[in-house]
Amino acid sequence: MPQTRKYQVGDRFTLVRECDKYRPIYYAAASGDFNPIHIDSEVGAAAGLGGAILHGLCTMAWAVESAVKYLGNPGKVTKMKVRFSRPVAIGDVLTFDGTVTKIAEGKLTAEISAKNQNGEEVLKGAVVEARTH
Amino acid sequence: MALDRKYIGKAYGPFLYQVGLEKMREFAFAVSGGIPSAGFAVPPEGLDPLLFDQQAGNQSTYGSVIAFPTFPVVFAIRPFVAAVTDPDLGINLLMLVHGEQEFELFEVVRPGDEITSTGAIADIYEKAGKDFLVVSTASKNQRGQRVVDGAWTAVIRR
Repeated sequence: MPQTRKYQVGDRFTLVRECDKYRPIYYAAASGDFNPIHIDSEVGAAAGLGGAILHGLCTMAWAVESAVKYLGNPGKVTKMKVRFSRPVAIGDVLTFDGTVTKIAEGKLTAEISAKNQNGEEVLKGAVVEARTH
Repeated sequence: MALDRKYIGKAYGPFLYQVGLEKMREFAFAVSGGIPSAGFAVPPEGLDPLLFDQQAGNQSTYGSVIAFPTFPVVFAIRPFVAAVTDPDLGINLLMLVHGEQEFELFEVVRPGDEITSTGAIADIYEKAGKDFLVVSTASKNQRGQRVVDGAWTAVIRR
């Protein structure tokens, strides 16, 4: 476990995750959120969402996961903030690109962009903060 | 019909949640591209052992397996759900989408933790023909330590 990894402003990290057909169901089971707009395409369509959509909190979890893989320790995260700007549909492939923008007083700030396969942002203002040691 | 701002300050909870190791593992598996199951799944490739392996957890500075950083949604969501399903507010859940989310983590979550969550409606406002409802939540463990504060923003389309 790399507890002593060196972090620098300007460091970059990337994670790609696909919303496969069953991901909203798996995330529903793990999180407890069985809102039908996430697991029933007919309900999602009736709600004007074009079908079932992934939980925003799963997209957020992936943004955090991208940072966790860079940090090398899931216990270091201290803060996370996102705005959900676009629904994520089944089949979407999301790319999370993070950049370390600040390191001060033992804390690191990373700004993360999250885009679908069409280059559209699914999150805005995504920020993860973490302890540096 | 716009949401009535008189509900700002309305409180929900406390709600108690008992954290289990298998649930923590299932959450980490589901997020990391796997299946949330002990019987039908193996840990997804590249998943940090701290999130599922007891030996790795015991040997770490945390002394146990720890939860994925967003695992607190499992329990911290309860006051938020209580607010959006509050009959007084009369929200149509099919018209609700998650707008924004913020968490501040103070303590890692470990198996056996008993987490108490409370929440309150922090704000209600209208923008671009939609209603916005902000619920703040606070969760503490059995030792009285702050575990996570949350700010949940729901957007209700009309």
